[in-house]
Amino acid sequence: MKRSEFLMVAHIETHVLENWVEAGWLLPQGDADDYLSEIDLARAHLINDLNELGANDDSIPIILNLIDHLHGTRNTLQELLVRIHEQPENTRQEILSGIVQK
Amino acid sequence: MAIDPYKILGVEKTATQDEIQKAYRKLAKKIHPDLNPGNKKAEEQFKEVASAYTLLSDEAKRKQFDAGEIDGLGAEKPRQNYYRDYADAGTANPYTRNADFGDDNDFFSELFRRQGNRGGGGGEFKMRGQDARYRLTLDFLSAINGGKQTITLPDGAGLEVNISPGCRDGQTLRLRGKGQAGIGGGSAGDALIEIKVAPHRFFQRVGDDIRIDMPITLKEAVLGAKIKVPTCDGSVTMTIPKGANTGTVLRLKGQGVARAKGGQGDQFITLKVILPTAPDAALENLIREWKPTTEQNPREPMGV
Repeated sequence: MKRSEFLMVAHIETHVLENWVEAGWLLPQGDADDYLSEIDLARAHLINDLNELGANDDSIPIILNLIDHLHGTRNTLQELLVRIHEQPENTRQEILSGIVQK
Repeated sequence: MAIDPYKILGVEKTATQDEIQKAYRKLAKKIHPDLNPGNKKAEEQFKEVASAYTLLSDEAKRKQFDAGEIDGLGAEKPRQNYYRDYADAGTANPYTRNADFGDDNDFFSELFRRQGNRGGGGGEFKMRGQDARYRLTLDFLSAINGGKQTITLPDGAGLEVNISPGCRDGQTLRLRGKGQAGIGGGSAGDALIEIKVAPHRFFQRVGDDIRIDMPITLKEAVLGAKIKVPTCDGSVTMTIPKGANTGTVLRLKGQGVARAKGGQGDQFITLKVILPTAPDAALENLIREWKPTTEQNPREPMGV
């Protein structure tokens, strides 16, 4: 979406957007016409919410970093589960029963 | 059913703005969907808390609510998707490196649920299929009139989509069970289809109304006429009143866009008087002879 549309929907000012991009909190991938994507917008909402919850400029990058790690881990684990499911029945049972017994 | 934002936040009616903010923060820290990526219920709960807070944190709105002028829904916050919907979905994501597998179900909880009702070796698990995201570009009239469209999926199969009349640009349609197949007997994911609507050569949509610029000849403008006007589902004959002018707006009631809750918008026609494209000697003579009954200076409002 365009920068102006983004600013309006995310309820932020131009300089705030610039600061966020500069700090690496947002990583727009688009060109000038289609600068920011839906995921950037969702992330901007998250940053606004974190602000509202009392997180400050020092703690927000820590939280974002942890959330991104969490999603990466979830994705990897899910991939792992899919791979496990592709194994022969007895291998699968062995792996899974091993996990849940812990 | 009346919604009580004080109850939702767990504060007294006499609470100060500071207490309200504290109560909101305490709840939101626990239930914000992005801090609970695997919990689907968090979204509903958070929506309630956030809209209660939006209402009570605005002193003017809070006064209106206390006076009974607006209800507890008066300030519901229209909310975009949460970050987790993207970070956890199978779309390319610059913020995380492992973004290839998306799922709406929480697979952690799948693992632990299995632990609960494990029979023998406990090797079975169910997982809901991934949601699949598609984009569909509609031409303007297909979006207005609705109808069936077919999306070609990456594997070459076709997916039929029913477009209801009045479909909007940016709208997302959800086809239940049309996403990826589930695993181990789990239900299939959904297909999410984002609609883009292409612009039209002369129709323009404004809310539920259709706007169109309609060229008419000088003769039709001066003497009035019946002309054919295109509408989104064909054309109608309409009367141009005598003395119509450039900028005159006429309305065709009920010829606009179908509304989701029934009824239909209108079509507005803005007239544009067009002189003959080639010089016309007869017209020139006529105008030279023409003596206006009242002299008029259309530039008067500009002071010249």
